[in-house]
Amino acid sequence: MTDDNSRPLIQMVKVDKFFGSFQALRNIDLEVQKGERIVICGPSGSGKSTLIRCINRLEKHNAGEIIIDGIELTDKVEDIDAVRREVGMVFQNFNLFPHMTIVKNLMIAQQLVRKTSKDESRKLAMRYLERVKIPEQADKYPIQLSGGQQQRVAIARALCMEPEIILFDEPTSALDPEMINEVLDVMVDLAKEGMTMICVTHEMGFARSVADRIIFMDEGEIVEQAEPAAFFDNPKSERTRAFLDQILSH
Amino acid sequence: MEVLTGWWDDYLWGAVIVAKVFAASLLLMVLFGLIGAAAKLSDNRVAQKIANGYTVIFRGTPEILVILLLYFGSAIVLTAIAQVFDPDIRFVDVPPFWAGTIAIALIVGSYATETFRGAFLGVKPGSIEAARALGMSPLQTFIYIRIPEMWRIALPPFGNHMLSLVKDTALISIIGLNETLFVAKQAITVTGKPFTMYIVVGIIYLGFSSLITLSVMGIEKFGNRTTVGAR
Repeated sequence: MTDDNSRPLIQMVKVDKFFGSFQALRNIDLEVQKGERIVICGPSGSGKSTLIRCINRLEKHNAGEIIIDGIELTDKVEDIDAVRREVGMVFQNFNLFPHMTIVKNLMIAQQLVRKTSKDESRKLAMRYLERVKIPEQADKYPIQLSGGQQQRVAIARALCMEPEIILFDEPTSALDPEMINEVLDVMVDLAKEGMTMICVTHEMGFARSVADRIIFMDEGEIVEQAEPAAFFDNPKSERTRAFLDQILSH
Repeated sequence: MEVLTGWWDDYLWGAVIVAKVFAASLLLMVLFGLIGAAAKLSDNRVAQKIANGYTVIFRGTPEILVILLLYFGSAIVLTAIAQVFDPDIRFVDVPPFWAGTIAIALIVGSYATETFRGAFLGVKPGSIEAARALGMSPLQTFIYIRIPEMWRIALPPFGNHMLSLVKDTALISIIGLNETLFVAKQAITVTGKPFTMYIVVGIIYLGFSSLITLSVMGIEKFGNRTTVGAR
């Protein structure tokens, strides 16, 4: 590949997505460069989660093109698998495997998908658990951990696959307020290390300090995208202004 | 108690037969239940219809009737088939052990179909999504995520199915399987002591069911170590 550096890591061209007759995404055009940190915000039901779930094919788009690091997402299973190896995901409800210990949660996909040996995958799992600052929880089960700890484990689990991109789907929305910062801290560290991130979140402080670009969505459309300063201080669209007034009013 | 002298070994062999029927029908019951659940959960309309017919019929008719119909029905069918090859054959006898085992496995399997179906649907979609997002294949997700999560959900009702199964073995005496109830009937004709002879059968079955209940409790405790017990 000669154009490795100029080619965007994620390319969405005129993407539509329907759930039955409801149109969840309308004509989405989006390019994300390597190392970029994108925050997506918007009212609930605006298609934010659907957008990032299309990127790793948890949802299948109905029209348009999605190309991840040169691989176009179609029905081809090998291509979907290849994309999923490059794209990590962190969910709102953590989605740890309840019947496995923490360290097993981090090892299972390494062993099955990347065919890493048991010893190697355990080593890597412990390294990432240390990075999210909970190595001492390795042999516990998910339910024994607090929500914030579980979400940090979920981030470590995604990192164990050494992805190019990580998608965050409202990672702090299910957390008690006192646990939000421990998760955001981990995400800020990741951002500093140059990870390509797309984050659906309502944490506007995080968005302002970390994002390269903020995307505002409403009714399945990208209404506005801008750098944080411009986005918060000088929003162009009326809908963006109304949304910001609502969430920043307190 | 003296009346029982001489009958102990008959009861013992009867109990062995109960155990054998239970073991064989347990395996078949799980198999029927899994096939039924898979059919009901599949996108195939025909498979769904067949599975629905199966659960409607076997949950909706008396168990003893199913055993009788299966025993005599299979004998008639097999006889007809055999007569094609050798017209001199009068009657093909189906072993009551297998007719009875298959019959009760089909009956309890129809209940297990619903249990397994519910358990598969009870697995959190989040776990499955996480596995898929990590790049695990559908088969890997099924083996490492769905099955380990579903059996924990299915276990308590499954314990009840095992109890039904072991108790249903007594029904097979009607087609001449010499299990404990059959032994008791023979002993009664000789000794004329129905109460004593039936009580022994009751005690034997209580022994089996207690064993099953205790095992299920043990397995449940093991399965729950990751959830409730872990707190």
